[in-house]
Amino acid sequence: MADKKIMTTMHEKDMQKVTAAQTVTKIIVQFLLYAFLCIMALIIVFPFYWMIISSLKSTVEYRLPIPTLFPQDIMWGNYIEAFTAANLGKLFMNTVYVGIVSTILSLVITVLSAFAFARLEFKGKNALFAGLLATMMIPGELFTITNYVTVTKFGWLDSFTVLIVPFLVSVFYIYLLRQNFLQIPNELYLAAKVDGTSDLKYLWKVMIPLSLPNLISITILKMMGAWNSYVWPRLVTSTDDYRLITNGLRDAFTDMSGQANIPVQMAAVTVVSIPLFLVFIFLRKYIMKGVSRSGIKG
Amino acid sequence: MKKFLQKIKFEEWKAWIYLAPAVALLLVFTVWPIINTLRMAFWEDYSIMKELGGTLGNEFGLKNFEKVIKYRGFIDCLKNTMLLTVLTVPISTILALVIAVCLNAIKPLQRFLQTIFFLPYVTNSIAIGMVFEAMFNIVGFGTSNPSYGIINNILGVFGADPINWINAGSGYWQNIAVLTIYIVWNALPFKILILLGGLQSVNKQYYDAAKIDSTPRLRVFTKITVPLLSPMIAYVVITGFIGGFKEYSSIVGIFGDDMQAVGGESLNTMVGYIYDALGNQEGRASAAALILFAIIFVVTMINMYVSKKKTHY
Amino acid sequence: MKKRIISFLLVLTMLMSAVAMASCSNNGEGSNEGGNNGGEQGSAKVPYDVPAEGYDGSAVTITFYHSMGAKLQGILDTYIPEFNKLYPNITVEHASQGDYDGVRDQIKTALTAGNQPNIAYCYPDHVALYNVAKAVVPLDNFIESTITVTDATGATSVLGLTAEQIADFIPGYYAEGTAFDEAGTMYTLPMSKSTEALYYNKTFFEQNNLKVPTTWEEMAQVCEQIKKIDPDCVPLGYDSEANWFITMCEQYGSDYTSLNEDAHFLFDNETNRSFVKMFHDWYVNGWVTTEEIYGSYTSGLFTATEGQKCYMVIGSTGGASYQQPPQVDGKALFETAMATPPQVNPAAPKVISQGPSLCIFKDSNPQEVVASWLFVKFLTTNVEFQAAFSMASGYAPVIKSVQQNPVYQQWLDAANGINNLTAMSVKLALSQADAYFVSPAFNGSSEARDQVGTLMQDALVSTDSNIESAIKKLFEKAVSECEYAAD
Repeated sequence: MADKKIMTTMHEKDMQKVTAAQTVTKIIVQFLLYAFLCIMALIIVFPFYWMIISSLKSTVEYRLPIPTLFPQDIMWGNYIEAFTAANLGKLFMNTVYVGIVSTILSLVITVLSAFAFARLEFKGKNALFAGLLATMMIPGELFTITNYVTVTKFGWLDSFTVLIVPFLVSVFYIYLLRQNFLQIPNELYLAAKVDGTSDLKYLWKVMIPLSLPNLISITILKMMGAWNSYVWPRLVTSTDDYRLITNGLRDAFTDMSGQANIPVQMAAVTVVSIPLFLVFIFLRKYIMKGVSRSGIKG
Repeated sequence: MKKFLQKIKFEEWKAWIYLAPAVALLLVFTVWPIINTLRMAFWEDYSIMKELGGTLGNEFGLKNFEKVIKYRGFIDCLKNTMLLTVLTVPISTILALVIAVCLNAIKPLQRFLQTIFFLPYVTNSIAIGMVFEAMFNIVGFGTSNPSYGIINNILGVFGADPINWINAGSGYWQNIAVLTIYIVWNALPFKILILLGGLQSVNKQYYDAAKIDSTPRLRVFTKITVPLLSPMIAYVVITGFIGGFKEYSSIVGIFGDDMQAVGGESLNTMVGYIYDALGNQEGRASAAALILFAIIFVVTMINMYVSKKKTHY
Repeated sequence: MKKRIISFLLVLTMLMSAVAMASCSNNGEGSNEGGNNGGEQGSAKVPYDVPAEGYDGSAVTITFYHSMGAKLQGILDTYIPEFNKLYPNITVEHASQGDYDGVRDQIKTALTAGNQPNIAYCYPDHVALYNVAKAVVPLDNFIESTITVTDATGATSVLGLTAEQIADFIPGYYAEGTAFDEAGTMYTLPMSKSTEALYYNKTFFEQNNLKVPTTWEEMAQVCEQIKKIDPDCVPLGYDSEANWFITMCEQYGSDYTSLNEDAHFLFDNETNRSFVKMFHDWYVNGWVTTEEIYGSYTSGLFTATEGQKCYMVIGSTGGASYQQPPQVDGKALFETAMATPPQVNPAAPKVISQGPSLCIFKDSNPQEVVASWLFVKFLTTNVEFQAAFSMASGYAPVIKSVQQNPVYQQWLDAANGINNLTAMSVKLALSQADAYFVSPAFNGSSEARDQVGTLMQDALVSTDSNIESAIKKLFEKAVSECEYAAD
């Protein structure tokens, strides 16, 4: 209902400028926009809601044949159990560390490569780019075993290196950023060259600000990668000194038959989701900033 | 030799220096595994355990490929893979585009809704699989008083009969429908993020010009938004196709490890097959991966060719 | 466009030539190993050279991969110091790998880099896989070893197992270690076990004067009676279709699988087809459902307070706490009781056993292998550890003498069908000690298990008008899938 109020204020503002007929169309369009977005938002948000209510159910209620949409008895105890059962604090800090370091390094590598592909001319450029794209098409599961042998030979097992280095290059991100860089008019680069601006300075001053939204998308994806990675950390680390959060979330709450105590697990998932959620709210402002800046440039 | 070096332009050196870290890492962690995959694919009856145990023969050839192609479920895997890709990529791309454009067009609540559309990222995958099952599930199907999941309840509001989506005896197309919804749902946040990012870096002058001319909205969308966004759209479509061909985790998420509804047809996909074979038939898994690679390669080339013609830089 | 394709082809050729090189070098290694390990076939048990000095007291670190949650790791952590009181120079490190499959995948990958742990949780199927790589230490020479070991307290004992220790193991569990070849080479020792039990609603059974079924015929009668009392219910829920099929084969004495390499998959036979047909009819009558078919946990059906219910569940003793009756205002709505699942021949009952065993991996340092053996021996024969682990996990201990432990006895005595089903389930598991059987384990046996589970599901819900031929087809498909996977 707040929407209606906002719409009426907009309505009043525009009154003098536009005719009544146009205003009506505008309101209808706005209404449809909001209706559509709200329905989609409900669909999108449902699993998140599910995660939270599951975290507050008892195991018995969770296993009911007809799932309840709201917990009958709210079990705050699940959260206490989640905190005491596993070494989640340490694992969380590991994840943050791996996430931040790998994001920074990955951004540097991605920006440099995307710049080379978008702006520089060299022999075999197209072939190399096609080759890179081709590597995306092989299912990653096949790489795991060979890479495991490689990192073992390097003596990297049980270290942060092994969690960060093998995944620094993502062809997806290079491709995404190259597409973005290609959009920026080449004249800007040529002009900068005439002015004697170095490549790196040009990158820093022009290209990066202009593609900030995508760089932030990459940052988010990279952080989420650290947040969701499970198989590789389990494979290459053997202690909680280096394991990541999903290892703890999945493994700490299982009983002998391999069944997880799902409500407690969900409680733990919810707790560790909160910082991530805050990080996004914080980053979203930067997306906006990137937008306004690119508006000024053009 | 000297002459040759002189010939290479300064810019080329520069390009290779910029690319050096990426190329070096790719050589070690991507190209080498691919080479190893080729080795396993052409080594007859290859399995790592056999190699370690010293019971592996020394025959090289196409036997692994033959085993894959002659497998009775292979055509099913191929069909399911193709079908899911062809269904999900257009649906998810168009839906994401519409949502991104709508989000970009509103002022109040924009921040709030953006945050909502981001939530799937912080929702753990364990929760997502569970919720989808619960939404489509029918508990006690075939018994006297079944209880329907949310989706069937919503259908009931519109007077439709409940549909057996995923339970015992459910049909192939119902299964595919659920998978399509799941995959589209899963792909949406990423695509919205990319397209919204693209939209927000689009130069506002174009829109201002359109406003002055009072161009109709639909025309603005097709003549300005879509062309300006075309690089981003090309990106999500091409990567969407590649991702679609590699689909399998969604099926495991809903239908379990054996990838079939109870009493239903096999829903296995190419990557599902590869994953199974990785258990102890790495040679076959590698051969199947190369077959899949060949398919994706051809499709991507077609995609790139089309997008090059249509993309507006 | 053309250029791109050509260049890609060039890259491909390059890769191919690299492959040829890579494979050459690997060939060499392969044939070498083949030479070392040759001649291990035949019907003699696979030997292992136990170091003549036994454990020489040297400092070694051994690693143990398992799938214990935080709680069970806590138990393990309190008993490792106990072990170190005897052998202070053996450092035990351990790590959870998620679940059983996680342990298997981890070890399979680790083997490729020669980086395997010393000890691991295992199921017979996993050991069969590791055996292809000849990576598992056969235990017979350790078990029989009479080498004297002196521990840090100054006490001496034999390195192997004494006759009393072997006799203390529950025979069915111990025999699982010999399921891998025809000679009966022992590859594993049992760690902690569960089995299947028939859970039933005791209150309902008493109210309606029903007899707890001991045979499948009786089960059919009881289902029919219950269906008359409560037409809306599904009388029986069976959790695992694969267990069901395999147990039925064992009870009928019909073929399931064999260790014979030319004929591994024998389950497509008349007896098996007929019991599948019988259970299909039960499903059609609305007598039985499974977790997969029903669409939710059968324990949820068993403990439901409203709507549809079931009054019997055949499921793992490890999941006993889920069959606990619901309570309203602190009063349980009914009482759960447990019994041995129905049998073809109740005089010679057969029930499946599940749960982890322990295996030891080969290592370049023989002292690590000996130290691992000492730790495995400690975990499987130490009464206090077995008791503590059983109480924490709800799984049965693998040695009989645990039942004489006073703390454990007390724990067992507290069993009841209202709020302590865990102890009750362990009690039942212990009472079925003579009924456990072992299925052959070979490379491909896990596929057989998966396939018969799927077969059972599909056959139960089949709506084909000619059910006999539909079942026949399902059997043929399952066998051909098994043979493809093992080929």
